[in-house]
Amino acid sequence: MTDRILTTRMEAHPGDSHTLTRYEATGGYATLRKTLAEMTPEQVQEEVEAANLRGRGGANFPCGVKWGFLAPAEPRYLVINGDESEPGTFKDRQLLERDPHQLIEGIVISSYALDVHHVFIYIRGEYPRSARRVQRALDEAYAAGYLGDDIMGSGFSLDVTVHLGAGAYICGEETALLNSLEGRRGEPRLKPPFPAIEGLYSKPTIVNNVETISNIPWIIANGGAAYDAIGPEGSRGTRLFSLSGHVERPGNYEIVMGMSWRKLIYEVAGGVRDGNGLKCWIPGGASAPWLTPDLLDEPVTIDDTGRLGSMLGSGAVVVMDETTDIVAAALSITRFFAHESCGLCTPCREGTTWLQRILERILAGQGRESDLDLLVDVCDNISPGLRWPPAMTTICPLGPSVVSPIMSIITHFKDEVRAMIPQGEPAGV
Amino acid sequence: MSWPSDVRRRAEEIIARYPEVRSAVMPLLYLAMRQDGGLTLDGMREVAGYTGLTPVRVESVASFYSMYKRGAAGRYIVSVCTSISCHLLGGENVLDAVADETGVPSAETGTDGMFSIEAVECIGACGGAPAVQVNYELIEGVTPDAGRRLCRWLAEEQPEVVGSDHMQAEFGGIRSFDWGPAEPVGAIGPVPAFGPYGSAGEVS
Amino acid sequence: MSERVKITIDGRQVEAESGELLIEAAQSNGTYIPRFCWHRRMKPVGICRMCLVEVEGPRGTMLTTSCTTLVGDGMVVHTKSDTVKKAQEGVLEFLLINHPLDCPVCDRGGECPLQDQTMSHGPGESRFVEEKRHFEKPLPISDLVLLDRERCILCARCTRFSDEISGDPLIEFIDRGNHTQINTFPDEPFASYFSGNTVQICPVGALTATPYRFRARPWDLEAVESTCAGCAVGCRVSVQSSQNEILRLLGVDVEATSHGWLCDKGRFGFQHLAAPERLTVPLIRGKDGELEEASWAEALDRAATGIRRVVEAHGPSAVAGLGGARSTNEEAFAFQRLLRGSIGTPHLDARMGDSLDAVLLAAAPNRGLIGDLESAKTVLVWGPDLKEELPVLYLRVRRAVTELGARLVVVHPRATGLDPVADHVVRYRPGHGGETLTRLGAGDGELAAARAALGEGPVVAVVGRTGLTEDSDLAGAVAGFAAGLPEASVLAVSRRPNLYGAIDMGVAPDLGPGRSPVRPGRDADGILEGLGSDIRALVLLGADPVADHPSGTAGAATDFTLSIDLFLTDSGRAADVVLPAAGFAEVEGTMTNLEGRVQKVNRLVSPPGQARPATDILADLAARLGDPWTDPSASALAGEIAELAPYGSVSWDALDWGRGRDGIVARGGDATYVAPPPPPPGNGNGLTLHLGRVLYDLGTAVAMGPSLAKLAQRPALYLHPDDASSLGVIAGERVKVNGSAGSAEVDAAFDPSLALGTVYLPFNLGVKIGSDPAVTVGPVS
Repeated sequence: MTDRILTTRMEAHPGDSHTLTRYEATGGYATLRKTLAEMTPEQVQEEVEAANLRGRGGANFPCGVKWGFLAPAEPRYLVINGDESEPGTFKDRQLLERDPHQLIEGIVISSYALDVHHVFIYIRGEYPRSARRVQRALDEAYAAGYLGDDIMGSGFSLDVTVHLGAGAYICGEETALLNSLEGRRGEPRLKPPFPAIEGLYSKPTIVNNVETISNIPWIIANGGAAYDAIGPEGSRGTRLFSLSGHVERPGNYEIVMGMSWRKLIYEVAGGVRDGNGLKCWIPGGASAPWLTPDLLDEPVTIDDTGRLGSMLGSGAVVVMDETTDIVAAALSITRFFAHESCGLCTPCREGTTWLQRILERILAGQGRESDLDLLVDVCDNISPGLRWPPAMTTICPLGPSVVSPIMSIITHFKDEVRAMIPQGEPAGV
Repeated sequence: MSWPSDVRRRAEEIIARYPEVRSAVMPLLYLAMRQDGGLTLDGMREVAGYTGLTPVRVESVASFYSMYKRGAAGRYIVSVCTSISCHLLGGENVLDAVADETGVPSAETGTDGMFSIEAVECIGACGGAPAVQVNYELIEGVTPDAGRRLCRWLAEEQPEVVGSDHMQAEFGGIRSFDWGPAEPVGAIGPVPAFGPYGSAGEVS
Repeated sequence: MSERVKITIDGRQVEAESGELLIEAAQSNGTYIPRFCWHRRMKPVGICRMCLVEVEGPRGTMLTTSCTTLVGDGMVVHTKSDTVKKAQEGVLEFLLINHPLDCPVCDRGGECPLQDQTMSHGPGESRFVEEKRHFEKPLPISDLVLLDRERCILCARCTRFSDEISGDPLIEFIDRGNHTQINTFPDEPFASYFSGNTVQICPVGALTATPYRFRARPWDLEAVESTCAGCAVGCRVSVQSSQNEILRLLGVDVEATSHGWLCDKGRFGFQHLAAPERLTVPLIRGKDGELEEASWAEALDRAATGIRRVVEAHGPSAVAGLGGARSTNEEAFAFQRLLRGSIGTPHLDARMGDSLDAVLLAAAPNRGLIGDLESAKTVLVWGPDLKEELPVLYLRVRRAVTELGARLVVVHPRATGLDPVADHVVRYRPGHGGETLTRLGAGDGELAAARAALGEGPVVAVVGRTGLTEDSDLAGAVAGFAAGLPEASVLAVSRRPNLYGAIDMGVAPDLGPGRSPVRPGRDADGILEGLGSDIRALVLLGADPVADHPSGTAGAATDFTLSIDLFLTDSGRAADVVLPAAGFAEVEGTMTNLEGRVQKVNRLVSPPGQARPATDILADLAARLGDPWTDPSASALAGEIAELAPYGSVSWDALDWGRGRDGIVARGGDATYVAPPPPPPGNGNGLTLHLGRVLYDLGTAVAMGPSLAKLAQRPALYLHPDDASSLGVIAGERVKVNGSAGSAEVDAAFDPSLALGTVYLPFNLGVKIGSDPAVTVGPVS
């Protein structure tokens, strides 16, 4: 069974996997040629649906289903979400820099399927190297006739534009990304309407993650059924996991889902650094609630992780060893969400910063006994009921994301938090 | 129109990339920053002129994104990541080191205009934590000591163009992944080095 | 259109309109859901999160903002569940943690939604022990508006208003997250004609208006509903006073006219009523030729004598009257009765040479309503720049286009406020409107697209004079053309606040009371032309021809002139008797707006000094002229007005409450308007003058109010850059302009939107050169 889809070329040809020459020499754009010559757009859509490919941006929504929502109005747009900003995540950067033609071929095939003629690749501003590599690959693809007018004589035409972000995590949220692409503040839009109905310039728009679309050439080349045969149900295909934090061998690893967390952390990533004990890990980016060592033998799948009260999210696994200052770690993530809150809705704008300041106070030795309850209650006012998946008083899920680190330390490490609070402090002020 | 003709031409080219002119606001803001070394009132007014927006709407957009530096930015923006993975591996120590070395506190620009020092949120280099960027050119696996050397090098050499590969080789350590072949391209100013913005240059 | 659906709110089944917002459906069924960002005249954004409720769905109950949720049949909603209460209290706590709680020194204190919510739902004690967010305060963001960013709760009402409603987005969210603030661009103030609306809709005290700042506490205010007397739109207002001084006007949301909005001139213009320049005692011309104070009896005697002598020597037709367009209907009716009845002259006019045919104003073909804009497919505006002259009508047209999807055709000699949202803009030189109309009608050349748009009804046409050099027959011809467009609805517009009422009351040379044709007398032009000869006595009621008539330099008759006014005007200075009259909010009565909508104006304060209602003054004068009226009170006059056919059902009682809040549209009368043919082209050689009006001119409402006076525009002559360069004129330098009634030196400015060969001079900014289209321009050597 295949256990590598996305990273085979870059591993085999580290010197030039990003070039058109190498891409073509390893079979690249043959699938596009076949698609344009032999398949109808509907057939492409059917294969993608059959693959049961779930989106790799964080929400894990089935790609084929999303495509099915696209409204018929003209023009329609495909936007590639390369605003990879979830702390712990760096996989799309590798795909953009090391195999941009794989993405571009996926884009052309997807656009053909969706009857799209203008695609935007939104790359975060902090990835100039990715933008340069992609732009160079686009230039090559245009020159070779894989983009532009009448691609390979098929009559199908497509333009692709690279757009750089400028430092705003929230633009990873698809409606905020569309606002940003329209030259607005990256504030999320109210849903409905969903982008597939009213997206970019109020036109039907599909927003897909870089990794999601990078899978498309393989799926069309090998058939949706072949992809659906990889990995456990609900978590089909391979997936690029970013491992970071206190592991011996941080990096991106393309694996078939279903292995245990123990295997992922201790074998794939080489275990906890310096042979230290494992304190906890974040299974799917900074927004995800943390998991503890008692769950090491649970399988790494989308649905199982959801069942544990967390999520695989963007596939970012951040490992913390026993030496970790748990409040400082939670503060780092809380500060992140406070910094990245767009400020539009009240609970997120005010709540994230409030939580940050409470944690800062606790870390500075000025915590109060009542702060533990206060942290919980402020979280509850952002995400009522503190359940999973989270309910929210906010417009978008950024607000409830801040609850994850806070409730993780209160649930699992309450004693450590309490130990930072000076005792004998007079009640109230 | 106060921009010189080559910048105006770039602006027109950028606008032509989009179905609606308003989409050009963000790239034009980069162009304005590249032009003035920071985002000035005139720069925002210029962007407003191209896009038909009121200047305050341009400022509203600009101020939303952390990479548009209103007022003057330092010649070198040194951004040290302190988000979770870098935090776990000592990003704050690197930040303290570069602030100490340059004499410029975090979130400030030095009086001589050489450095802006900032803590940044995740820059997607978690596998190479702690990570640093100079004018958005990345260096992974930076120790506090390497951070100091990096700043000294910038201050002494004052390179016209800063490039990721060169700095990684000199000051970096572990990387998130194999970057592939080195490329002699880097940033000319405090703007991401990308062809259309005129901000990418040859590293000497 | 919409169907009724059944929904359940807190266990009670109620009916709502399908597609209605839940927050509105709940409110109309007696359940008030708290809110800050939602405003019924703007698109919902769901950002403050105060209006969270629980809605039952297939996957259990979900918290959702009721301002963004449309009701559907069978919807089950909980607005008072524990979850909802907790969520709303949570939002309130979040809003308060950075709020300064400076209610005792805040203008909003006592009428603040945030304060009210806090009293009823708020946490007892703050759990926020950290330092609050600090901003420099207050920040003047314009001459009229101050911003306190610490009080701001970032509901975006002000920014949305300036973007969606008024179309001048000069305030915006700046920065991000917890640092987000409202602000202007550093050197570009919030100079909007509509800025006061943002103060009114601010749900906290973040935006305050300089004229009202620290003047009163809400509970000390007396208030009465009335109609704004700023222009002919007739916006509904709440007039509020303390200690017999008007302190503010607030817009009242009515469907028919204003939707709750006001322009700043309407909102802040009241300050002129308390100006120290107000006339407080009668004045008569003394032996030394100077005006001196007199008793009412003395002044009225002098006035009656002056008029009687002229009548005796030269006949009643030697007396003429000008004015009434700023008065109430009752005052105008009394004015007409004095002139036609008591004196017996046919020469009277409420217009000032700058308006339209009186019959067109009173009986436009297919006369429409402002509300017709709501269903318009196409809107034609060929008339004044609405943003400058009838600002809230500008808002309504803008709404029709930007919110409701109507197409807009604007015809004007230069760019108008509506151009940015227009689909078709047609430029022409003043004097060439007739040809333009003929070509537009035929869909000639580049006008084909505009003509095609006008072929799709319903069409609403807003027709008037684009400027003062325009032949008034052009607007008539345009109205005639427009009336023939599909499902046409025509609004023939002119700006003076009660011009329509005054004409309906018979203050017109060719119409008597109730729009009845009469033997024509002289119109304003004719009266002013006759001042040196056969018009020997002139009665001015709130009229100042010296300042207001485009060509007039005279405002007094040879034998006798009486000015009844709030101020000693330029014309009044030359009068023999000047009588101080009561003004807005000092008298009770009615006014008629440009649709023919009769609305109530109410009294809240007493006039200054010895100033009296004009009805009383005119009745006293009539009595001294031997024609005592049985009951001269305004209310008795209102009874007589109600006997005029078009005003048949209009009584003060009917106007004061219930449906009367929208007024009553007076339709009918015997007058029929016959549209003239398009006027022939004017002289094609040389420069053509466009004399247009601006909102902030030197009229009394601006010049006599401390807040607005500093906003008066600086005079300048605008030229097309190409014309300027061929004339050797440089922008910013002085230029000499010679017109039919004089020449002047002013600053030159460029306006590339002008049709070539056209120069533009804003009227009533102190530069007077006459109103003939032909002018010459050259640099000052």
